[in-house]
Amino acid sequence: MSAPTAPPSPALSGSSPPEPANRTTRRTPKWRRQGRAAHVFLIPWLLGLVLITAVPLLASLYLAFTDYNLLDPPTWTGLENFRRMGEDPRFWASAWVTLKYVLVSVPLQLAFALGLAIVLDRGIKGLALYRSVYYLPSLLGASVAIAILWRQLFGHDGLINSGLALLGIEGESWLQNPSTALSTLVVLNVWTFGSPMIIFLAGLRQIPEELYEAARVDGAGRWRQFLSITVPMLTPIIFFNLVLQTIGAFQSFTQAHIISGGRGGPLDSTLFYTLYLYQQGFVSFNMGYASAMAWALLVVIGIVTAIHFLLSKYWVFYGDN
Amino acid sequence: MATTTTTAPTTETTSIRAPRASRPGNLRKHIALIAFAVLMVYPLVWMVVSSFKPGNLVLSQPGLIPSEVTLENYRNGWGALGEPFSLFFANSLFLTVGSIVGNLFSCSLAAYALARLDFRGRRIYFGITLASVMLPMHVLVVPQYIFFSQLDLLNTYFPLLIPKFLATDAFFIFLMVQFIRTIPRELDQAAAIDGAGPFRTFWFVILPLMKPALVTTTIFTFIWTWNDFFTPLIYLTSVEVYTVPVALNTMVNAETQSGVGALFAMSLLSLAPILVFFAVAQKYLIRGIATTGLK
Amino acid sequence: MDRRTFTRLIGAGAVTAAAAPLAACGRSASGSTEGAVRYAWWGDAVRKQNYEAALAIFSEENPDVTVRPEFADYGAFQERITVQMAGRNVPELFWIPSPQVLTYQAANLYRPLDDLDGFDLSDYPDDLLETFKLNGELNTMPRSIFTPCVRWNQTFLEEAGAELPAYDEANWTWDSLAEFLIDYSADNPQGRKGAAYCANSDMVFESWLRQHGSDLWTEDGTLGADPAALEGWFEWWERLRTAGAALELSEQEGADPEWPVVGEKVLMTLQNSNHIVDEAQQFPDYDFQQRMTPANPDATPGFRFGYLSRIAMYRETPDGSLEGAAKLLDFNLNDARMVAQTGLTVGAPANPRVLEEIRPDATADELKLLDLVDEEMQHEQRPRYEAPPGSGTWRDVMARTIEALALGNVDIPTAATQFTAEVTREIEAARR
Repeated sequence: MSAPTAPPSPALSGSSPPEPANRTTRRTPKWRRQGRAAHVFLIPWLLGLVLITAVPLLASLYLAFTDYNLLDPPTWTGLENFRRMGEDPRFWASAWVTLKYVLVSVPLQLAFALGLAIVLDRGIKGLALYRSVYYLPSLLGASVAIAILWRQLFGHDGLINSGLALLGIEGESWLQNPSTALSTLVVLNVWTFGSPMIIFLAGLRQIPEELYEAARVDGAGRWRQFLSITVPMLTPIIFFNLVLQTIGAFQSFTQAHIISGGRGGPLDSTLFYTLYLYQQGFVSFNMGYASAMAWALLVVIGIVTAIHFLLSKYWVFYGDN
Repeated sequence: MATTTTTAPTTETTSIRAPRASRPGNLRKHIALIAFAVLMVYPLVWMVVSSFKPGNLVLSQPGLIPSEVTLENYRNGWGALGEPFSLFFANSLFLTVGSIVGNLFSCSLAAYALARLDFRGRRIYFGITLASVMLPMHVLVVPQYIFFSQLDLLNTYFPLLIPKFLATDAFFIFLMVQFIRTIPRELDQAAAIDGAGPFRTFWFVILPLMKPALVTTTIFTFIWTWNDFFTPLIYLTSVEVYTVPVALNTMVNAETQSGVGALFAMSLLSLAPILVFFAVAQKYLIRGIATTGLK
Repeated sequence: MDRRTFTRLIGAGAVTAAAAPLAACGRSASGSTEGAVRYAWWGDAVRKQNYEAALAIFSEENPDVTVRPEFADYGAFQERITVQMAGRNVPELFWIPSPQVLTYQAANLYRPLDDLDGFDLSDYPDDLLETFKLNGELNTMPRSIFTPCVRWNQTFLEEAGAELPAYDEANWTWDSLAEFLIDYSADNPQGRKGAAYCANSDMVFESWLRQHGSDLWTEDGTLGADPAALEGWFEWWERLRTAGAALELSEQEGADPEWPVVGEKVLMTLQNSNHIVDEAQQFPDYDFQQRMTPANPDATPGFRFGYLSRIAMYRETPDGSLEGAAKLLDFNLNDARMVAQTGLTVGAPANPRVLEEIRPDATADELKLLDLVDEEMQHEQRPRYEAPPGSGTWRDVMARTIEALALGNVDIPTAATQFTAEVTREIEAARR
């Protein structure tokens, strides 16, 4: 899954020594020693896998093929849940809502996060203050108070409509209109761009200063430094953010749950996939169906992630090879 | 030993690099940044103002200028659950610090092994790690609950803390793997030539160099744990062990929406510690790491 | 595979590996320990304070019973108790959310309540007890009763110099109410609308259905709403909305009007009679009044009804906790001090003796609730059936239907058909 080869960065190709050529010849003894060491490092993870992750994971896989209402024992129904998905219009509605959301909100949020991380990386006064202020919304992003805040902004009597009223436009509640409700959630997601911004900031700090110094010695301007050092060196972090924000967007739940009061309304226009899954599992007590939905989602996310990883060969540069 | 060359003093390099201020472009930059900041924090400002309004006016008179100012929301909210709200702060803090320690410990170990060591099954392990990020948590809740209830650990913090010490937050493993992979291999090899094994390399070379990832993990773990609602709700049933979000969730009357003022007041108070924490933690992102050993 | 095997399997391997060291350091305060009684209810922080004050009285008198309250907001309560039920770790006493009464019954969660030492049923006449039973078994008890109502802001009414239709059989009809609301909305100087759009108010909807000769739920556990009655309900509301006499969904932020949002905007809401206790407090400057739902002259007799909100004891309550749980149940239902402490936000007490005892101390708004419940309950009532398993989402379906209607996406007959089809499908899915 990981990308072993990446094109050498133009900036580094001159300065970094090539990989030791004798790697393969040394491989066997080193491999054996490292295997033992690796498993020592992985003890907590392996314990967690066996005790906490694997059993529930397998249980949910089993449940995906059953009818399980949480109260009575599950009964095996084979592929029935998956067949039902095919003919469930709300399932497809939720998949469509989620897809739109992923395609719009992930690039938007990452662009904001990356742009501001670069601006706030260094060189201006009051960095700490700006960063904190921009990060504030992320702290609040999952709070119950968000529902009320968002109504204050996008509601019928909210700030946006008050602004429009000054222009003589009478607006409706943006949250109650099926064609705009999802956009308010995209705005909410972009509003909380602080989290990926932090990761970008951390990534920017990881870039060795020597590279910039070397480039300056070579007479490269700031734009050229950005393109030939910052961007390639940041690609693993961009990639990380892209992969995980995509996964996160596919699983997006809390904000829609809070803002629509758990319903995904109006008219299912904010019925995210996991919100529907949750409704099925915890409101309608169809945990079997919910588990099947979860595994269907896992497969889809898995494919998307695999594609990300395949494509990453062409644009992600790792310092370790 | 490799340490001396790699974990060189950190602050100097940044301060040399930083001053480029007081150019005309900067003023424009500041104006844009401030304008953007105002846009970002408007909802919060509204929340602050509202928290000082009498409870029944918060939603019925939502303007920015209150007709009446009162501290009643803070007073009511603080004692709303019969326990002082500071108890929930203390609970959340305990849980959060525990989770941070757990995640830093367990995830960095796993990440190092997955990023740097050669062993059979590495890719499979990495795949499992990723897969566990992909499955929505809602279908895992019930089996996990049954597991912890059979251990008789309900209403304790163990169901919330044990997973952190066992590296189940795969997000952070992936994060750290990505960061470790940006660290040039030459440093490990230099350490290996100096006779360091995987453990010393990890401790003296990699760990210091992945400070930004560790800080990031700390920040995220703090915020996610501090804000987590569903898991504490399920596992913690008595008020004495409630965390802040679980306590906040009871502030508002579902039918009449009364209590919104108290909710705002306590939400804002609960933001304060995270904000302070963030302001401190992010400095470590400014300082960063100077990898002077590279050249 | 039965439940126990299933839960065992999930825990099994892991438990044996980890139990010893972990259990040693965990406080055993979690599951149902002998002698302790876990009591789960929902509500906000204010209710929690009131209930704990009442439970303090109980604990003082019964030092041998340890009460462990487990409370949460209504939504969170359902999330938590669902997981607890799946893990068979249910509190000894718990409130039952209205759509789940028969779901829990089907899952065999309730313990019979007529053989308990310490729980006294002598306050309840036999014919009353009969109405509490589910499938002939007394395995839940009503904590409180509330009814559907029309509530209006008397202050607003006087400001406009308007007068409601007379409160008698001839004049208090749906038609006259609609006409009044349309007139009021057209005329009042404050520019208010007559009513919030309350088509998703379950109690009033059920009242409408019963007046029109059908039921919300039938004895056989199906949706009883007759298509004509359903269409009539939608027509009544859409007529008001299009005439500008009921709020648009946008104005009230959704199919369920939120009180602080609509309180200043409308004269009237149609909803539960118990909400007056909390809602009036939110607008202390106004005087609120309420009536029973209107009825057309041809209304089916026996349509009046009260909703019984229920409490149950977990079937697998350990013997050591049984007596304490029974005592606590008795205190909750049969002790006036409990109600005096907790107030009437959940409705009128179901125990007739307690009801009489607390009446003298009730506040003005609480009296309005008690009087209206009395008035409604004096009427002859035909039986009412609880919501069947699988119907838990019917109000969400109703909300979606209303959204589609109000946005003009569907016409009324289609809306009615879709509503019926969707609710029926869910119930049938749960039956499999």
